[in-house]
Amino acid sequence: MKSLKYIMTALVMLSFGMSNAQIKNAKTETVKIYGNCGMCETTIENAGNVKKVAQVDWNKDTKMATITYDAKKTNQNEILKRIALAGYDSDKFLAPDDVYAKLPECCLYERVNKPVAKTEPKTETHDHSSHTASTEMQEANQLTSVFNNYFSVKDALVKSDGNTTSTKAKDLLTALGAVQMNKLSNEEHTVWMKVMKDLAFDAEHIAETKDVAHQRDHFMSLSKNMYELIKVSKQETPVYYQHCPMANKGKGANWLSKENAIKNPYYGSQMLTCGSTVETIK
Amino acid sequence: MKLTHENSEMDIQSIFQKKLLPIALMLLATTSLFAQKVVRYDLYVKDTLVNFAGKEKRAIAVNGQIPMPTLTFTEGDTAEIVVHNQLKESTSLHWHGVFLPNKEDGVPWLTQKPIEPGTTYTYRFPIIQNGTHWYHSHSGLQEQIGMYGNFVMLKKQNDPTFRKGIDDLPTVPLMISEWTNYNPNNINRMLHNANDWAAIKKNATQSYAEAIREGHFKTKIRNEWKRMLAMDVSDVYYDKILLNGNHTTDLKTVDGKTLKAGDKVRLRVSNGGASSYFWLRYAGGKITVVANDGNDVEPVEVDRLIIAVSETYDIVVTIPDDGVAYEFLATTEDRTQSASYFIGNGIKQLISPLPTLKYFEGMKMMNDMMKMNGDLDDMGMKMSLNQMDMNVVMYPEITGEAKQKQKHDHSQHNMDNDPNRYNANELGEIKTLNYAMLQSPHNTELPKDAPVKELKFTLTGNMNRYVWSMDNRILSEVDKIPVKKGEILRITIYNNSMMRHPMHLHGFDFRVINGKGENAPLKNVLDIMPMETDTIEFLANEEGDWFFHCHILYHMMGGMNRVFAVDDYQNPHLPNKKQAYNKLQRESNMLHFMIENDFATNGNDGEAMVQNARWSLGTEWRLGYNDMHGYEVETHLGRYIGKMQWFMPFIGFDYRYRKMGMDEHETNLFRQKNEKDTRRAVSLGFMYTLPMLVNFQAEVYHDGIVRLSLMREDIPISKRIRAGFMVNTDFEYMAELKYIINKNMGIRTHYDSDMGFGVGLSLNY
Repeated sequence: MKSLKYIMTALVMLSFGMSNAQIKNAKTETVKIYGNCGMCETTIENAGNVKKVAQVDWNKDTKMATITYDAKKTNQNEILKRIALAGYDSDKFLAPDDVYAKLPECCLYERVNKPVAKTEPKTETHDHSSHTASTEMQEANQLTSVFNNYFSVKDALVKSDGNTTSTKAKDLLTALGAVQMNKLSNEEHTVWMKVMKDLAFDAEHIAETKDVAHQRDHFMSLSKNMYELIKVSKQETPVYYQHCPMANKGKGANWLSKENAIKNPYYGSQMLTCGSTVETIK
Repeated sequence: MKLTHENSEMDIQSIFQKKLLPIALMLLATTSLFAQKVVRYDLYVKDTLVNFAGKEKRAIAVNGQIPMPTLTFTEGDTAEIVVHNQLKESTSLHWHGVFLPNKEDGVPWLTQKPIEPGTTYTYRFPIIQNGTHWYHSHSGLQEQIGMYGNFVMLKKQNDPTFRKGIDDLPTVPLMISEWTNYNPNNINRMLHNANDWAAIKKNATQSYAEAIREGHFKTKIRNEWKRMLAMDVSDVYYDKILLNGNHTTDLKTVDGKTLKAGDKVRLRVSNGGASSYFWLRYAGGKITVVANDGNDVEPVEVDRLIIAVSETYDIVVTIPDDGVAYEFLATTEDRTQSASYFIGNGIKQLISPLPTLKYFEGMKMMNDMMKMNGDLDDMGMKMSLNQMDMNVVMYPEITGEAKQKQKHDHSQHNMDNDPNRYNANELGEIKTLNYAMLQSPHNTELPKDAPVKELKFTLTGNMNRYVWSMDNRILSEVDKIPVKKGEILRITIYNNSMMRHPMHLHGFDFRVINGKGENAPLKNVLDIMPMETDTIEFLANEEGDWFFHCHILYHMMGGMNRVFAVDDYQNPHLPNKKQAYNKLQRESNMLHFMIENDFATNGNDGEAMVQNARWSLGTEWRLGYNDMHGYEVETHLGRYIGKMQWFMPFIGFDYRYRKMGMDEHETNLFRQKNEKDTRRAVSLGFMYTLPMLVNFQAEVYHDGIVRLSLMREDIPISKRIRAGFMVNTDFEYMAELKYIINKNMGIRTHYDSDMGFGVGLSLNY
């Protein structure tokens, strides 16, 4: 008798199972999930989705995810836990550190929910290397703010936003002025002396105008000099030196980016993904 | 002690509240009867329904809860535990790791009679030790369905061994267990019938298709050549893992105090699982091990540890930061399931799950270790104390991801000769606990003048028929081992089987000879991995019949047990000791049954078998739908010989009826004629398992006719497809393909020389 029941169930399931792909008892919620880019979106959604049970739609601009799920089969926690195990924090779960660390560079979002690590060295496995790294880091810090401001200028240019580009360039100028030469390493110092004036010159001109085309002209030489400086300065994360063959009236031009994915500052949305990485600086 | 738990498994709770709350209230009234030094617990054992994994199933609850209530005593108390059996079957309770008079030990038919349904039974014994222990049913498979609980014995306040900073920490008892929606009796039966449904569920079939995909075709062939079934680190598929009865728990306060950064918590972890080992890991950093099997050890800091079935570990974890709850994760050894405890307040910091096992690497390792005769060969490595874990070859977190490994071949080359290639702690940055790292804070030496009795055991068994034994003898084939009171028993155990075995001794702690000299650690469970040799010793100073067995429930029930009879103990509960021992022996070698039939378009093919560890009574049939196809039944009664059980002599009886048309006689390969359409024949023969798991069967009938046949069933083609064939000297042959739908059902297509082509539904139980 038991077997008969099995056969019946099997037949019933076969006939129904295929046609129905909708989520039953659907419940929809919106939650914040921390991430950066389109790549993050794919990972987050794949981790959260379960066929016929849960569907996740994450927006990379707002960082908000719309979660639809079968309330009888799962719950928000289960979905967020899966996403956290894929490397993405929410307000309920923190991703395992090793999983976060393995995310692609562009996905290394800022972990605002993670407490500032006061006991960090204890839990880290490779603490022997972090000792020497941390002393060097402090000295590198002043250049880091230069680079970060450069990246902000670049990001504003990607959006073809002349106003923001101008303000970010002012910040860059300030950062350049704040660098104390005597704290630079020998190599950095040599390069710094060589490019300092040009950097300031280009930054000043970008800050003066709101005309994106003019800003982009100066951004070419700014990028070139910045590249020379970043090459001799130790970076925590790799930086990508990228090239667009069409810029500068077909002569080509370069820029620096923290992501390997191309986002062209010379054309913005016109030709956002035109270009390629020519060098990875570590 | 008060704990605050937030349960996410509300359905279980509600069942408990509906059906069992009244009982719990009754208990509250009774347990408060504290005498001055007698601590009394009333335990009401009752059938219940639970929903741990999506289905309502039978379980056994004590005082309305699973796990059973935590029993807490202080050294010097007298325990009085009253068991009210409200089940429809008998029960018993064993106090695991507790020193007590033999008659209180709780093994039915060895130290007492079973507690019959509707009766009350009182255990009473003085508490003469301290530490983390546990208790469980020792009757049948009741332990699998809820009868496990914590048993904590505290140190006295003025105890000289009281450790500041450890013994005064906030403490939480933690019982790990597994849940399956299957009836455990059915699991036991399926294991003996080599049903591989569990492997399908775990994605561990290790079929030919999977082998080819991962570039391990040769490994698989060699494995089958050596007559091995797919190997796994565990045999049972579980639906849920539970920590104190919940899959996920938030631990925010202990003893009413909110946990905050810098706090340390001592977890008293017991593995109450019936057959699973668990990895224990903590998202907030290292784990400090402070005691094992209820005995203090010098604190050891590790990244992770594996807790064997029935072991206990006391571990200390620290909360690094405020605003975060850190995950304490127990993962099964096969890595398919886990359960979490979140320690602290705030956002939940997860720990990454253990990556999937590289099964074919394990298979390759097993191929190297196993000789053609089924013995294991350690190739000169002296393995002991879990220091070398052969399974590391399967752990991606230590030996790298499966696919990368093939690409970076150069790193692999010299590995094969590296003496540390199985030493997890040398290979990676992850520090794993092993028994050589345990050290007692006290001198544990035994009296030097006591006589020493040396014993040697070889752990034996085979996967194919799931028979597990010691020295190739199960309990029903051996007498009790006589020991004189006051003797030191020094036991050397070698594991010559393919599975690891957590060996447990009742009534005593033994010293593990682990190179720590006079500070050798004390334990009552020792996990012994394949090919390991370990030595333990203890002073047999308490008379009685003490059980010594593998604590994997399904191994124990199959007879992997011994009894040490210390002196001639007169147990008031068992006036007839011989009769009682016979019952114990019988219960450890129960018959199991299987039946299978294919309802096909060309007839019915099937078989039924009743077996125990050694004997097999089986019958096979082929029933056509008309006289020309005929009806055929073959019955064999045989006995399996040897450790690997590849050889089975049998007597048989064949019956056949068929109408072949005029003058049509069959001639076999030996030109013997079989002229009867109706045939009744008695035979003598044997079956032998050849390499590639092909069964060779030879038999001679009373009329001189000889028949030889070759047969192979269940060739794993892909995860769910099995192939098989048969050919014999009567020029009969058969080939089959089967698709497994679930544990009891498959679709089978076959071609049979007598009955032609057929498609059918194959059902098995």
